[in-house]
Amino acid sequence: MDEILLEYLPILIFLGIAIVIAGICVGASYVVAQQRPDVAKTSAYECGFDAFDDARRQFDVRFYLVAILFIIFDLEIAFLFPWAISLGDIGLYGFWSMMVFLGVLTIGFIYEWRKGALEWE
Amino acid sequence: MITTAVFLPLIAAIIAGAMAFTNTGDDKAKKARLDMMAQYVTCGGLLLSAIFAIVIFKDVALGGNAQTVQLFSWIESGSLNISWALRVDSLTAVMMIVVTVVSAMVHVYSIGYMSHDPDVPRFMAYLSLFTFFMLMLVTADNLVQMFFGWEGVGLSSYLLIGFWYNKPSANAAAIKAFVVNRVGDFGFALGIFTVFMMFDSVNLDEIFTAVPMKANDTISVFGGQFHGLTVACLLLFVGAMGKSAQLGLHTWLPDAMEGPTPVSALIHAATMVTAGVFMVARLSPLFEYSEVALSVVTIVGGSTAIFAATIACTQTDIKRVIAYSTCSQLGYMFFACGVSAYSAGIFHLMTHGFFKALLFLGAGSVIHAMSDEQDMRKMGGIRKMIPVTYALMWVGSLALAGIWPFAGFYSKDIILEAAWGAHTLTGGYAFWMGILAAFLTAFYSWRVILMTFHGESRADERVLAHVHESPKVMLVPLIVLAAGALFAGYIGYESFVGQKGVEFWGSAILVLDSHQALEAAHHAPFWVKYLPLGVGVAGIGLAYVLYMWKPAIPALIVDQIRPLYTFVHNKWYFDEAYDFLFVKPAFYIGRNLWKTGDGALIDGLGPDGLSAVTLNLAKRVARLQSGYLYHYVFAMLGGIIVLITMYMLLGG
Amino acid sequence: MTEIPNMVPVIPEIFVAVIGMALLMLGVFQKAADDATEVKTAHLVSRLGMISLVLTMMLVATVAGSTFNTFSGMFVSDPFAVYFKILILFASALTLAISHNYMENQGIARFEYTVLVIFATLGMMIMISASNLMSLYLGLEMQSLSLYVIATFNRDDERSTEAGLKYFVLGAVASGMLLYGSSLVYGFSGTTDFQMLGNMFDGDHAPDASLGLIVGIVFILAGLSFKVSAVPFHMWTPDVYEGAPTPVTAFFSVGPKIAAIALFIRVMVGPFGDLVQHWQQIIVLISVASMLLGAFAAINQTNIKRMMAYSSIGHVGYALIGLVVANEAGVRGIMIYMAVYLFMNIGAFACILTMRRAGRMVEKISDLSGLSKTHPMVAAALAIFMFSMAGIPPLAGFFSKLYIFFAAVESGFFALAIIGVLSSVVGAFYYLRIIKVVYFDPPDETLDTPIDRNLGYVIFGTALIVVLFFAFPGIIIDGASAAAAAMFTK
Repeated sequence: MDEILLEYLPILIFLGIAIVIAGICVGASYVVAQQRPDVAKTSAYECGFDAFDDARRQFDVRFYLVAILFIIFDLEIAFLFPWAISLGDIGLYGFWSMMVFLGVLTIGFIYEWRKGALEWE
Repeated sequence: MITTAVFLPLIAAIIAGAMAFTNTGDDKAKKARLDMMAQYVTCGGLLLSAIFAIVIFKDVALGGNAQTVQLFSWIESGSLNISWALRVDSLTAVMMIVVTVVSAMVHVYSIGYMSHDPDVPRFMAYLSLFTFFMLMLVTADNLVQMFFGWEGVGLSSYLLIGFWYNKPSANAAAIKAFVVNRVGDFGFALGIFTVFMMFDSVNLDEIFTAVPMKANDTISVFGGQFHGLTVACLLLFVGAMGKSAQLGLHTWLPDAMEGPTPVSALIHAATMVTAGVFMVARLSPLFEYSEVALSVVTIVGGSTAIFAATIACTQTDIKRVIAYSTCSQLGYMFFACGVSAYSAGIFHLMTHGFFKALLFLGAGSVIHAMSDEQDMRKMGGIRKMIPVTYALMWVGSLALAGIWPFAGFYSKDIILEAAWGAHTLTGGYAFWMGILAAFLTAFYSWRVILMTFHGESRADERVLAHVHESPKVMLVPLIVLAAGALFAGYIGYESFVGQKGVEFWGSAILVLDSHQALEAAHHAPFWVKYLPLGVGVAGIGLAYVLYMWKPAIPALIVDQIRPLYTFVHNKWYFDEAYDFLFVKPAFYIGRNLWKTGDGALIDGLGPDGLSAVTLNLAKRVARLQSGYLYHYVFAMLGGIIVLITMYMLLGG
Repeated sequence: MTEIPNMVPVIPEIFVAVIGMALLMLGVFQKAADDATEVKTAHLVSRLGMISLVLTMMLVATVAGSTFNTFSGMFVSDPFAVYFKILILFASALTLAISHNYMENQGIARFEYTVLVIFATLGMMIMISASNLMSLYLGLEMQSLSLYVIATFNRDDERSTEAGLKYFVLGAVASGMLLYGSSLVYGFSGTTDFQMLGNMFDGDHAPDASLGLIVGIVFILAGLSFKVSAVPFHMWTPDVYEGAPTPVTAFFSVGPKIAAIALFIRVMVGPFGDLVQHWQQIIVLISVASMLLGAFAAINQTNIKRMMAYSSIGHVGYALIGLVVANEAGVRGIMIYMAVYLFMNIGAFACILTMRRAGRMVEKISDLSGLSKTHPMVAAALAIFMFSMAGIPPLAGFFSKLYIFFAAVESGFFALAIIGVLSSVVGAFYYLRIIKVVYFDPPDETLDTPIDRNLGYVIFGTALIVVLFFAFPGIIIDGASAAAAAMFTK
């Protein structure tokens, strides 16, 4: 039991450091920076609509399209990191597995490209 | 050959039936051709079957060569082993001759009689089918097969009585015949069960060999101990009473006259109604051991003989008179069996088959000539126009009245002598009832002849203009039957009931040594021998006085004895009594059960209630489907909670 | 170095995957200049898709008869899997056959439809062959994601989008339950491999199963129940069936259902087979509830697709009886049941697809009136399918129920069999009502007469199978027997 917990100790330390740094950043901006808020500044970024507003409003679906497409490739990267690290252990089989995976992804990418999902207009 | 003789009618019936099905188009020529083919097939089959029956008779009855043909196994279940088998001994051979010859004649006769009917193939198919079942009945080697034939003839009878199904009265009569016979058949079935219970077998041979050992066994019925054979015999006799229209269960027979006349001749005179007599004779080894059963048979037979004869005197429908006459003659046969003179009963059965069929077909010829008029009050004075029929009706009536040398003389005399010879109380009762009935028989027979053929015509002009002698195809069968009515008695006397009787019947009929009525009959005194003939002549004479020479008297007499006449004319109020005792209460109970029992209770709680509950449930269930996503998710989460809870409570 | 796994058993799946991607590329590189070319492309892709599904069927058949374990035990190919894969491929191919004409008429003929059906098929094949909780989830999600999209394929139609949205949200909840259950099982047993899980509870160890593990199983069970739309996880079914385009509904009612039933058997009888007394009662409850709800709720429906939804819920209830029994006879019963169900359901939906009035689809039950006059053959076929679903001999539906009930009675589940028979009596009411409407109700307006040739072929073929099953039952029953036997030999 203790051994398992011990294995998770680095994560706990990582978590602690992250919380501390984030806290310092937010806190410092309150302490150091000048506070002069206006409407544009307090609104969320270019999501097309307010974060805290009536949900039943028209919005531009293109934001979502971009976001979803981004997530797919973001996850791809998430797979690529561990693969890259363990490439030495998994050998050719591992290499080609990732190639097939990327190939499949590429086909999807070609599809969305041809469909015009990447064009804003 | 036996197999062929039995199954030819079935094959003919199937072929004719197939024609009846294909006979639907409007093509007249094709229809006529089909009609003719059906007639040829069925008549040919029956004639061939009749010839075979005569050959079989020669071999089996005269040659003493009784045999059983095993066809195939039917039911095998535990100790119950039943096979299809054709058992032919002297008794069966006699029955086969009567059945096939009369049936063949009726088939031929029907060609003429039914010539204007649109459904000829169907009719011929029914007739042949009936004949097959009748042959099945008489050749049965076990009780179940006999029951099969028994029910089969009941079915055919139903189909034939209701042949003109557009006539409501015919339908009612068909249903009545069927229902009344159910009462009898129930008794028969119970009798078979009793026999099986006692003997562990329904095979006739096995039963007969075991009877002496079980003669004094008792069985328990409703808690009481009764003599087993008596119970079995009485139950079986109830079946015989139903089929043979004996007092109490006779009401269907007169109504059955709604069927075509050939049907009346074949089924309701010569063959099917005699099945009861045949059954008692066939089971003589059983009945012989039960004095009580024999007494009951005697009393019922004697009572029916006189009872039906009185009614016959007052009826005006020509066929009904003959129907009651049949009822009465069946009574004779039964009391012959009741005094252990089975052979005399069968002898009368045979002669009666010929002359009663002759009378019916003769009556049919009259009806045919009178444009389907059956009421004797609207006939009269037609003897010159249909002389052949007239002569043949004379032959038939003479035979029925028991006038020497006609067949009825021999058979009726021996029955009455046997009844006298029994020297028992019941035998004496039957004897005197029989004498009285013989007088009435002669009287009503001549009443029919005189009212129909003599005197002034009471028919209207149009009918009279059409009166014509029947075609040859109808007359030839009549002549053949008339020959039977003339000679059957004289020829058969010695073999059936005379000195050669024992040798002739072989083992087919068993009479215990203590029952010597038939032997005693031959030594009857002079007056016993000639009284029947005497009363017969007297009856004829009375009829002449009342209906020929002094036609005014009947009305006067009727006026004098009005209540008695009404009582008899209304058939002793049997139908009304049954209507009051059984039919009305049955309808009442039925209606109540239907309205409250079935309608309100069973339908209300059952189908209707269930469907109402179902629909209600369906509505509620459908309302669960709200369409809201959160309801659905809630249901899913609720579901999983229920499942886990259930597991916690039950599963572990 | 990791060994390269045996690829032979996976060839059909690889083939389907490659075909799917190839068709996607083919479609997307066709010039979509106008509607006409788009329809033409869709048609071409649909045809090719059907052909390749049939080819896949042959590929699957070549690996029949033996059992392979590959990908470190994540993937198994045995007679059980082969049997169900062939059913799935039948379902997909028949769906494509009855789809195109409808899609073209509704103006939604796009090649993506075929591609999505093929990817869903791939997902189902993986589900059927899964022998690890992870590959199970992989296949399940692959299938589900494709289905979410095609449920809402008619995206300009409110009901279609609503159906897709509901299906997606509820499906996500169900997937969550399944995942949660899987993680519980993993947490309490330390493995996700079916073989190892099975060994863990083998024989004497069965009572060792901890509470958490059982709760995990219950959650997995709930997730799977959603996929087969068993009560109380059925709520999505009527709405989605009604809203989705009709051929999609036809597909939903057979493909995913058969795959999920296969998975149900695989999971329950395989790794958790020895814990049968723990989950049996739950399946009894689900089965009874499904049978009754399917029977009762369908009565009041006026929309024929909704009615078919409840009908399919009921059918799942019957099939689950076989799982309760959890022996070879029971599993064989389910397999026969699903095969027969596949053909009669696709046939019935093909008949529904002929309901078109002045070019527009109609789907009220009353619209069927007069079908016997305008389309006597279709009416006869529909009557056959309805009679079969009601379980009237000698049609296939009667025998499939018979095998199930026999299995239940043989193992002493009399109450279950009696409830099954009773609810099929209630069910007969609404099936027969359709026949009554078709044959005896006076028609208000006539339906369009010339029907699509493909529909005709499918109706004729499935009706023939349903009618002639009793004459040649061997083809299905032998396969099912072998497959069920494979499930119980370890």
